[in-house]
Amino acid sequence: MSLEGKLALVTGSGRGIGRAIALKLASQGADIIVNFFRRRETAEQTAKDIKAVGVKAEVIRANVGDPAKIDEMFDMIANKFGRLDILINNAASGVGRPAMDIDVKAWEWTMDINARACLFCAQRAAKLMEGRGGKIVSISSLGSLFVLPNYTIVGVSKAALEALTRYLAIELAPQGICVNAVAAAAVQTEALKFYFGEGLSKDNRQATPAGRMVIPEDVANVVAFLCSEEAFMIRGQTIIIDGGTSVGLFTLAGKES
Amino acid sequence: MSIEEQVREIVARITHVDKSIITRGSTFKEIKADSLDVVQALVAVEETFGIEIPDEEAQKFQNFGDLVSYVESRVAQEEKV
Repeated sequence: MSLEGKLALVTGSGRGIGRAIALKLASQGADIIVNFFRRRETAEQTAKDIKAVGVKAEVIRANVGDPAKIDEMFDMIANKFGRLDILINNAASGVGRPAMDIDVKAWEWTMDINARACLFCAQRAAKLMEGRGGKIVSISSLGSLFVLPNYTIVGVSKAALEALTRYLAIELAPQGICVNAVAAAAVQTEALKFYFGEGLSKDNRQATPAGRMVIPEDVANVVAFLCSEEAFMIRGQTIIIDGGTSVGLFTLAGKES
Repeated sequence: MSIEEQVREIVARITHVDKSIITRGSTFKEIKADSLDVVQALVAVEETFGIEIPDEEAQKFQNFGDLVSYVESRVAQEEKV
């Protein structure tokens, strides 16, 4: 699988899953636009590591929760490169609260970044893919299907993202744009520790038939495949990456921890 | 309006507290700002003053005064350039 000569935008790629995806696509030859919002140092580090692979990297700051900032980011990409081959909608945020405690501010913040941004980034990306085709992959999570503690609003936003993936896949198919998503179980990242503490990591290792937690590189590998020509006939799907956790749920009953 | 007053108005608007209770020594907890309030206040301050406040810096802020001092120093820097 080679992505040589391709240009990819990975939103939220300063750290965690986004960083792993950016590095994976770079290792296959793609030039990368590293988008970040809050942490410049980590984004610059990702860009440095990408350049070390021998491809180009560009850092762009933008809050994808704000459509005006999405426009500014894509204006910069259009002016500088005039094209885009791959869009990875990875940037995410969220407020960990039970449903009864969610207010309008928390709802809008989470939905704007996790779901609405995917639509507006896809609209602008599709224009830059015109006449050349492209790939759009969005990052979901198992919380779209299953209930995780205090994950309410993020889970809902990911469900919206997955539905949007299906609609975009059909609408953009005539333009040769492949749209898919991946949904991972809890991935071992800083964000996981921040939201759920260390306990969830332990529980998840025990609940995963594959014997270990999902790591960012597991997600990056599947995203890279979806960005390849080998995945051309996969459209509008959400590929689950969870080491068997979801299909093995009923085997956990009575299992000693 | 001074930088401090502008920042105070932004923080008061986002956290829905009376701006008279926000002093330079007020911690974000005292203003009842949760983590989302803090991020939204930082974003609003950035847009108002045309500066960037990375999380690496924001994490060092102990109170409202630290935020104001940071903004004042960044605005002064921008004016020099």
